[in-house]
Amino acid sequence: MTQPAIFFEEVNERQGVFHRRAILMGAFAGLGMSALGGRLAYLQLFETQRYEKLATSNQFNFKLLPAPRGVIVDRNGAVLAANRPNFRLMVARDKGMDPEGTIKTLALFVPLDEVRQRRLLKDVNSAPKRAPVQVMEDMSWEQFSAINVRAAELPGVTADMGEVRVYPHGGAFAHVIGYVAKVNREDVDAAGPNPDPIMLHPSFRIGKQGVEKAFDLDLRGKPGAEKVEVDANGRQVREDPEGNIPSTPGKEIQLTLDLDVQLRAEEVFGVESGAAVVMDCRNGDILCMYSGPSFDANKFVRGLTGAEYRALAGYDHKPLFNKALTATYPPGSTFKTMVALSALEHGYDPKTVHVCTGHWSFGRVWKCDAVHGAQDLKSAIATSCDIYFYQCALAIGPDKIAETARKFGLGEIFDIGIPGQKKGLVPDTAYKRRRFPKDPKWHPGETPSMGIGQGYTNLNPLQLCVMTARIANGQKALHPRLIRSIGGVEQKSGAAWGDLPVNKEHLAFVREAMKAVTTVGTAARVADLGLGPVKMAGKTGTAQHYSYGGGRGVHGTAGAWALRDHAWFVAYAPYDDPKYAIAVLVEHGGFGAAAAAPRAREIMRTVLLKDAEVMQRVQSPTPLPDLPPEIQTEDGLPDAPTPVQAVATATGVSAE
Amino acid sequence: MTVSALTRPGERDRLIVKLSEIDWLFVLVLALIAGAGSLMLFSIAGSSWQPWAAAHAMRFGLCVAMMIALAVIDVRVWFALAYPVYGLGVLLLIAVAVVGDTRLGATRWLAIGSFSFQPSEVMKLGIVLALARLYHGAPAQRAQLSWWLLIPATMIGVPVVLVAHQPDLGTAMLIALTGASIVVLAGLSWKIIAAAVIGLLATAPPFFLFVMHDYQRERVLNFMHPERDPSGTGYHSLQSMIALGSGGLLGKGYGLGSQSQLNFLPEKQTDFIFATLAEEFGFVGCVLVLVLYAAAIFMGLRTSYLSHSHFGRLAAAGVTATFTLYVLINGAMVMGLAPVVGVPMPMLSYGGTVMMTVMIGFGLVQSVRVHRYSEVTSGKGTFV
Repeated sequence: MTQPAIFFEEVNERQGVFHRRAILMGAFAGLGMSALGGRLAYLQLFETQRYEKLATSNQFNFKLLPAPRGVIVDRNGAVLAANRPNFRLMVARDKGMDPEGTIKTLALFVPLDEVRQRRLLKDVNSAPKRAPVQVMEDMSWEQFSAINVRAAELPGVTADMGEVRVYPHGGAFAHVIGYVAKVNREDVDAAGPNPDPIMLHPSFRIGKQGVEKAFDLDLRGKPGAEKVEVDANGRQVREDPEGNIPSTPGKEIQLTLDLDVQLRAEEVFGVESGAAVVMDCRNGDILCMYSGPSFDANKFVRGLTGAEYRALAGYDHKPLFNKALTATYPPGSTFKTMVALSALEHGYDPKTVHVCTGHWSFGRVWKCDAVHGAQDLKSAIATSCDIYFYQCALAIGPDKIAETARKFGLGEIFDIGIPGQKKGLVPDTAYKRRRFPKDPKWHPGETPSMGIGQGYTNLNPLQLCVMTARIANGQKALHPRLIRSIGGVEQKSGAAWGDLPVNKEHLAFVREAMKAVTTVGTAARVADLGLGPVKMAGKTGTAQHYSYGGGRGVHGTAGAWALRDHAWFVAYAPYDDPKYAIAVLVEHGGFGAAAAAPRAREIMRTVLLKDAEVMQRVQSPTPLPDLPPEIQTEDGLPDAPTPVQAVATATGVSAE
Repeated sequence: MTVSALTRPGERDRLIVKLSEIDWLFVLVLALIAGAGSLMLFSIAGSSWQPWAAAHAMRFGLCVAMMIALAVIDVRVWFALAYPVYGLGVLLLIAVAVVGDTRLGATRWLAIGSFSFQPSEVMKLGIVLALARLYHGAPAQRAQLSWWLLIPATMIGVPVVLVAHQPDLGTAMLIALTGASIVVLAGLSWKIIAAAVIGLLATAPPFFLFVMHDYQRERVLNFMHPERDPSGTGYHSLQSMIALGSGGLLGKGYGLGSQSQLNFLPEKQTDFIFATLAEEFGFVGCVLVLVLYAAAIFMGLRTSYLSHSHFGRLAAAGVTATFTLYVLINGAMVMGLAPVVGVPMPMLSYGGTVMMTVMIGFGLVQSVRVHRYSEVTSGKGTFV
C-alpha cells in the first residue's frame, strides 16, 4: 500500500462542502424553474389576449376579392361596358416549388412560347413571395379544367375564374367610356400615400381613360375578402365561408348617350376623321359623342402589343384622340350665327343690305365663294355670304361678337364628368393685347376673318353643339350632361341653369335664318331628313385649314388630305319644335354642305326616329285608306300596317 | 427486505437487489415526461403515431432498458472508464474537426458507415466522468484554490473550444457550464467563482463582436430586440411566445393549437415542443410538466447527496446539472428569455441522440445510487 493521497479529515471536509454546494445547486435549480414558471404565468395569464390576437392573425388570412366593376349603360339601359367571366392561370413563388419547372409543366397545357416562358420566369422570381403572377387569361374551359385537376401536384399554381371588362360595341364608345388596363407605377403613385390594396391584386384593372378613369372609384366598388385558414407557408388549409366579407359591386353608371345614335354615327363616319355631338336641346343630355376613327377598347384591356400601339399612335387620323373634346378647329361659317346674333343684340338692323360681287376691298381684296348679289342678314346666313359678314363684323367689332359667343358656351369647358376638354379660343382685343405684346393692337383687318369664323377662332365640336342647342332652346343657358346617373342617383340636369341673357326675338331670327339654310340655302337638299313635316335647320361651315400665312388650302376633296378644309354642320330638329341639336365636324372633309351635312342628317334621322312624339308627327299625315270591312277579314292580308312599314311609307312620301 | 439484510456482505452485489435499489419513482417521472412528449408529438403530427410519437415512445422504452443495464454496472467500472471515455471524446472531436461531415454550415457529425453521430454528445458524459474522477483523488484544499485547478480548467477548455469551433455554441456552452458546475460543487473557492463571473461579464462584449459568427450575433441581437426582424431570425422566438401566450390558462385543447398545427411554430417537434404543449394545455399543463422536471432534478441531486464516494457524488450531480441546464436553457429560449440556441427539452423533444445521452447519464446516476455504499478507489491507494 502506498501513502494515501488524501486524509480522512479532508474526505470529510470535501463531503461537507459538496453537501452544502449541492443544496445550493438545488436552490439554483429551484430558482430557475420558478423563473420559468413566473414567465409562463406572465405570458399565459396576463398577456393572453395580446398573443391570442397574434395567433389569430397568423391563422387566418383574408384574401382580397375584387368587386365586380360597375356596368356602364346607355340612356335606355343597353350595356356599353360589362364584365365577362375569365379563366385565369397564376403562379406564385413559394417554398419548395421550382418556378422554372412549374412554367415548363404549364407550357404542356397552355400555349407558352420560349420568350413568354423566360419573361414569366423573370416576373415570378422578381415578384414577392406568394404574390401571384398571371400566366394566362381567357383560358378555354378545357385548359382550365386540365390545370385545375392537377393543381394539387403543382405548388404555387392556381387556376381560377375572375372577371374581365368587355366593351360589346368595340370602338363606338371608346373615346367617351375609355378603357381599363393593368395598374402601373404611375397609377399607384397617383393614388397617394395609402393606395387601395386591391390595386396590387393581379386581376384588378384600373380605369385609364374617359368615364372609366373619371369614375373609377365609383365603378370599382368595395372589394370583398375570403376568410381562409392558412399555414405558415401561406398555403390555404381550410376555407371559412362564414367569415367571408362580401364585396360591394361597383356602381352602375348610366350615360345620356344612345346606343343606336352612337352606332349610326360610327357607321356614317366610316374611315373619315371627325366628330359628332348630339344634344337634347331641352335638357342638355348628350345623346351622341363620337370621334372617328375609333379603336377597339377591348384590345387595351388585354394589353396592346408595341406594334399595335405604334400603329394607332402613328396614324395621321389620330384615332386615340377624342376630337369631340380634345381638338379645336376654326368653326368657319357656323360662327356666323354668333356674329348675326351679336349684331342684332347691339342694334344692327337685319334689313341692312350689302351687295356681294364676289370681291370686297378692305386693306386687301377679300373674296366670297360666289356672287350673291344684294343680301340682308337673313339671306346672308342662308347663302353663307362671306362678304356680308366681313362688313357686319366690322360694324359691331370683335369684343361684342366675342361677348355673345361666350354666352353660348364657346371657349368654355363644361363639366361633363370626363377630362380632356380643350378650351379653344374666342378672340377679342384683350386677347390680342395679352397674347401679342409686340403687336397688341387689334387691327381692323382682323375683324372680317373673325366674322366668318376664321382667324384666331378655334372651337371644339362639343362647344358648337352647345351653341346650337342654346340657339334652339331659345331660353336656357343649357349645359351638356353626359352622366345621367351614378348608382341610381340622378345627376344635375343640363337645363337646371339660368336663362340666356339674350333677346328671344333675336334668337328666333337666327333660327329662322338657319331654317332658310336647309330650305333654300347652302344645305338645301343635303339636309333634308326625309321625314315629312319634321325638318332640320342648320348652318354649314367650311373652315380653311390655312387661312393665314401664305398658302391657301384646297377647297373640296382634291389635294392632300391634310391641306383640305374642315367641314362643319350644326343643326337642330324639328325646326318648328326644337328637340335635338347636332354638331358634326369632318376633319379635312372639304365643304361643310357636302361632307358634314349629310352625316348630320343621317345621325339626326336616327335620333328623331327613336322619338315617339316625332314619330307620331311623321306618321300622322300619312293617308291610310279606309279599307272596306270585308277585305279586312280576308285571309292573307295584314290587319294593319306595322310601324316599320309606316315609316318607310312616310319616308317615301316626303322625299318631294 | 430489511436493512439488516442489505448490510450483509455481498448482498448488494446480487442483481435482484441492485434492481430493487434503482429509483423507480425517478423512472416513473421520466416516463411521464416522455409520455407527455409522445402525446404532443401525436398531436402535431395531425393525430398520428407517425412519424414521431411512436418512435419517441419506443426510443424511450429502449433507453429505459439501457439505463437499467447501465445502473447495475458497478460504479467502479464507471470510475475506471472515466478517463478513457473522456480521452475518446476528445479524439473524436479532433476527428470531427479533421474529417467531419458538414451540414448546414456546421461540422458536427462523424460518419461511420451509414451511421453518423455527434461526438460532442460523448463529451457531455465524458466531461462529467473525467472531472468526477479527477476530483475524487484531489484533496479539498486543492479543489478550492491552487495552481492544480489549471488541470480541470484545461480538461473543460479543450472540448469546449473544439465544440465551439464546429460551430455548436449551444453544446459548447452546455459542456462548459456542466464542467463549471462540477468544479463549483467540488468546492471551488468563492473568490475564484466571483472572479470568473466578473471575467465572463467583461469578456462578453469582445466575444460577441469578434468571436461569434454572424448568425449567432443575429440571434443575440434579435433576442434583445425581438421586433428587429419578426419574419427572419426573430421569427422563432416570436412564434413561440405567441404559441405560449395564446394557450392561456387551460390551453386551446388537444390537437387544436393553431400555431403548431399550422406550422407557424418552427422546429415544433424538437426544440419548441414545449411551446406546443403550452399552446394546447396552457399554464396548467406547463406547470405540471415543470413540476415533473423539478422532481427529476431533485431526485438526481438526492442521489448525489446519498453517495458515499466523492466520484459518485460528483458524477450524479454533474449529470443532474447537465439535465437541469437543458431544461432551463430550453425553457428560457422557448419563453423568449434567452436567444435561440439548439438545445432541446430533454425527454420531451423528439430526437434520439439527446434522449440517449441523457438516459446514459441517468444510467450513471442510478449506478451511483445502486452502489452508493461501494468503496471507490483508483487502485493506487486513494481513499473513499
